[in-house]
Amino acid sequence: MSPVLQSSNPGAYTDVTWGQDTTSSPDPVENHTPWKKVLYERQPFPDNYVDKSFLEELRKNIYVRRYSYWAVVFESAVVIHQLCSVCSFSVIWWYMDQDLLSPQKLCGFGLAFTLLGYLIFDAVDKGAGRKESGRTRWRDLKSSLVFVAFTYGFSPVLKTLTESISTDTIYAMSVLMLIGHLVFFDYGANAAVVSNTLSINMAIFASVCLASRLPRSLHAFTMVTFAIQIFALWPSLQRKLRAYTPRTYTCVTFIFAVFSVSGLLSISSVGALLFFLLLISVTFLCPYFLIRLQLFKDNIHGPWDEAEIKEDLSRFLD
Amino acid sequence: MVYDQKVGCTRRSHNDSSKTTEATYCPVGQAHVICMVSDFFYPNMGGVESHIYQLSQCLIGRGHKVIIVTHAYEDRKGIRYLTNGLKVYYLPLTVMYNQSTATTLLHSLPLLRNIFVRERVNIVHSHSSFSAMAHDALFHAKTMGLHTVFTDHSLFGFADVSSVLTNKLLTVSLCDTNHIICVSYTSKENTVLRAALNPEIVSVIPNAVDPTDFTPDPQKIRTNKITVVVVSRLVYRKGIDLLGGIIPEMCHRYPDLHFLVGGEGPKRIILEEVRERYQLHDRVRLLGALEHRQVRNVLVEGDIFLNTSLTEAFCMAIVEAASCGLQVVSTRVGGIPEVLPEDFIILCEPSVKSLCDGLEKAIDQLKSGNLPSPEAIHNTVQSFYTWKNVAERTEKVYDRVSNETVLPMNERLERLISHCGVVTGSIFALFVVATFLFLMFLRWNTPDSLIDIAVDATGPKGAWSHKYSCKKSRKTMANAKSGSSLK
Repeated sequence: MSPVLQSSNPGAYTDVTWGQDTTSSPDPVENHTPWKKVLYERQPFPDNYVDKSFLEELRKNIYVRRYSYWAVVFESAVVIHQLCSVCSFSVIWWYMDQDLLSPQKLCGFGLAFTLLGYLIFDAVDKGAGRKESGRTRWRDLKSSLVFVAFTYGFSPVLKTLTESISTDTIYAMSVLMLIGHLVFFDYGANAAVVSNTLSINMAIFASVCLASRLPRSLHAFTMVTFAIQIFALWPSLQRKLRAYTPRTYTCVTFIFAVFSVSGLLSISSVGALLFFLLLISVTFLCPYFLIRLQLFKDNIHGPWDEAEIKEDLSRFLD
Repeated sequence: MVYDQKVGCTRRSHNDSSKTTEATYCPVGQAHVICMVSDFFYPNMGGVESHIYQLSQCLIGRGHKVIIVTHAYEDRKGIRYLTNGLKVYYLPLTVMYNQSTATTLLHSLPLLRNIFVRERVNIVHSHSSFSAMAHDALFHAKTMGLHTVFTDHSLFGFADVSSVLTNKLLTVSLCDTNHIICVSYTSKENTVLRAALNPEIVSVIPNAVDPTDFTPDPQKIRTNKITVVVVSRLVYRKGIDLLGGIIPEMCHRYPDLHFLVGGEGPKRIILEEVRERYQLHDRVRLLGALEHRQVRNVLVEGDIFLNTSLTEAFCMAIVEAASCGLQVVSTRVGGIPEVLPEDFIILCEPSVKSLCDGLEKAIDQLKSGNLPSPEAIHNTVQSFYTWKNVAERTEKVYDRVSNETVLPMNERLERLISHCGVVTGSIFALFVVATFLFLMFLRWNTPDSLIDIAVDATGPKGAWSHKYSCKKSRKTMANAKSGSSLK
């Protein structure tokens, strides 16, 4: 028969005092038989006995990563890039909308930069990536021609597609879509919300919306092409730069940020200031907080955790 | 008919006529009127359900009055009587998710108050932290000044947002509960951490299995064919993905190895795919959902029992299998290492490789033939866990709890705010006040004195109950479990 419960102290409701001091209660038998953490034996201890080994297997913060400040600052460049992309895209659109920038000019610059980027893309890893994927230049040329032809052909449709929708709705939708693009973009985090396809699609949708408010269909064509360049091609070049030449990448980030802020400055000085502060806080303040808040991490692990299946089990079904 | 009954003094007497040893054994103590509350009860099937049923039967056998409160299951609503006059209230509350009711902390008060009053309940015993109704009942019982006990049957992590929220709610629910029961030491550590409790108000009382239900098959002849049995719901938490890797691996190593899988669930598709892919139709049998009484017959067909659970507070399945005389191979997770001594179980890490090695070891032992006979294993295991023992230990908790004071309103509010954090504490303190006012209103509307007192199924002064005891009740258990199945 199990012995009676430990004499209930009057303050059975005392606040959390678990830890060492609760083990002081006297053993029913003078330490003859040590308590064992087993259920199949009837032990001469009360059911609510708290042994010294209580919570012995508790582990805290075993998966904590140590961050170094500058490494986190470097990593934040991805976010900066995306913010700047959205910013420059909006600035360019505004210039086009105000007829301060002709579509021919943008088209020309876009083409030049794309070609340059295309060369750098291959030069940076000396063609290793191309060999691996087995993609030929002919195929690249073909797909870009198809894309340009289709966009050009459909640009009058794009231009009139959303004519019946009010401009305010278009603006609201574009803002939402661009925010969505920023949220779902693959910054390298291993999370469920990350979806590259969704992110790119949202950006293209925003560009189609905005393009429809431009004066002519050539404008619309240029705008959509530019969106592809800045939201689809530019990030893949960035990824490669980051992997192979981190220094260049940092420089590019800086130049890009300066370009975007000064572009915004030409439209609105308050907006530029706010954007500048945003960039600064993302680069320097957020990493600082991330590292600071690590100190408060209190993650508990123990035998009660659900076991993780670490191996890849899909191999049995291939 | 209104039958006035004095609670807590003379109720032990009615079992004196009974000839069983259990009834005469009754130690000196008060008889309690216990109300078990949980969303999970028959016809739903699982560990919690059978725990509540068996515990209630044994407590009735020991002279207490026990009622069970759960929510309505389809057409099963109102009041039902089970063996030994065990009264079950199936309340008309809406089921929200996974057989758990929705909760507002208020709407169930009129019903529960009525039951508590008419049954003259003095201890409310809630089961399972997944059951919203159990927490509601605790909450209302405390408002009404009744003693409260809570049994936690499961483990929970601390890692994700959902567990942070549920753990907070558990903290609120348990901070002024008199006593908590856990089914294993690991579960106790888990609950103490989750709800920030004083470990001294947490008792460990394991589950039990009925050894008469799980006996080895004496007619069984050992052949060269080795069968591995798996009986579990086919869900992720039971590690069925691991099983999908073990089956081809082991079938490849041992041409005379067979698998027998009982149970149903969303992961069945994986096992079917594996069977298809490796052409194992003659060696892997999937039985689908099993009724509780079929489990023993499936178990005795095998030689080795495999449990691949990823988390488990106690794991009845391995005790049942060992009781049938099988070799047990299991993952070393949660409370499993506490359940069986090392000679009866081979513990492995939760990976395909480790579990395959464990199975290999078990097969080698089996082939070498130096294992104890299934009967010998059964005889040892049956002494480990009995419901009688569980009931005795639970009774001690009730005895202790009934001598404690229930926190008065003001202290309860203070405790909530000091223990659960200012924000959460204040919100729930508001709920406490609201429930209290609601209770005041209900008491004004229908005073306690106007609520009829229920007649026990055992009749006035237990006159209708005669030779029933804990043991006999098991024979008729199948009635209570009608429609039950392993899903």
